[in-house]
Amino acid sequence: MHIPDGFLSPQTYLPAAAIAVGAWAWAARGLRSALDETLIPRLAMLTALAYGLGLVMLPLPGGTSGHTLGVAIIALLFGLRLAFLAYSGVLLLQALLFGAGGITALPVNALAMGLAGSATAIAMFRLLKPLHESVAVAIAAWASVIVPGALVAGVLGIQPLIAHKPDGTPLFFPFGLEITLPAVLLPHALIGIGEAALTLLVWRYARMRKWRA
Amino acid sequence: MAGMTARHALYLYLAVLPAPTFVHDPALLALGLLVALALAGAERWRILKRSLLAILAFNLSVSLGVVLVGLWRGHVDTDWLLLANLRVLLMVFLGFWFVARVNLLAALQGWPTATLVATLALGQARAFARLIRDFRLAFASRSIVKPRLLDRRRHAGAQAVALLDKAQVQSTEVALAMRSRGAFDA
Repeated sequence: MHIPDGFLSPQTYLPAAAIAVGAWAWAARGLRSALDETLIPRLAMLTALAYGLGLVMLPLPGGTSGHTLGVAIIALLFGLRLAFLAYSGVLLLQALLFGAGGITALPVNALAMGLAGSATAIAMFRLLKPLHESVAVAIAAWASVIVPGALVAGVLGIQPLIAHKPDGTPLFFPFGLEITLPAVLLPHALIGIGEAALTLLVWRYARMRKWRA
Repeated sequence: MAGMTARHALYLYLAVLPAPTFVHDPALLALGLLVALALAGAERWRILKRSLLAILAFNLSVSLGVVLVGLWRGHVDTDWLLLANLRVLLMVFLGFWFVARVNLLAALQGWPTATLVATLALGQARAFARLIRDFRLAFASRSIVKPRLLDRRRHAGAQAVALLDKAQVQSTEVALAMRSRGAFDA
């Protein structure tokens, strides 16, 4: 669901960049002391997994892409701040090395997928864990795809409203919410099932290896 | 970007990149692309080809949508098609040109956390790609006849566990090497 460069107006990406910089500063606070030789390899491993997963993407007619994220498992194992930072790094590398996503779009992509995706996964997991742990992991992973999808579709869909010529012709992304929301959310409702299965698989691996969780 | 430090090249890239989003004239964007092509040197066509391939799927899907909606309404907005595609192409070209000329890790030096995450993620990504290729070749060499679905499932499971284990071992080594070089020192 990466938004590429060139489809977001400065009215969108500049405020998003200001928010993202604040969020990155908050997430990085105390990070160095939290990282150690045990945690770093595990984080790096799952970050690389997320990096690979994010590159297997299908273009969607709504102007973005469909792919699994891998952010839920990072969030569930390492917490919101680390997951947000790590996923932001993933997005940066994907944008620079593969042109997947973009640098001006990075703040929006990072806030949607990294921050909102992680927060959703953690909230859903905490809410549902008392009922059944595996089900909680699966639903948390599914929701961690759907919520960022809705945010990305929302940001794209409002572009014709906030950046257009005097005659109403869009200057950036051309389609409104009536197209972006179904175009992004319907495929991601299915992709979320794959994300859930994958997250559950890695979650069980982490438990088998007695990682903290 | 020749003669510039990696950090300065990063600043220049970040300063120039937003410019196309403030330009809404396709002719000016085309001019910007021509200037970038002229300055990119001998690698210009490789970078251009790479940029075109990177944006092809997304821009094609959006552009086709615009064309279809335009045909339905009786007017295809060719100005928008030119504007959007030139803008995206120019921005992606600038990114690939930057990466082709500048060592990303050198540009991130001075931001230890960013360097750390980038080093580990890049190393891991390369290790993953190598291991997947090795597994695929090994599986193909062991399969005299076409493998059954069950064999493929077993292979995929074994590969997934090996990938995760190998990735952890490798990143442990990288983390230790980085610590011994003072990467975690304040």
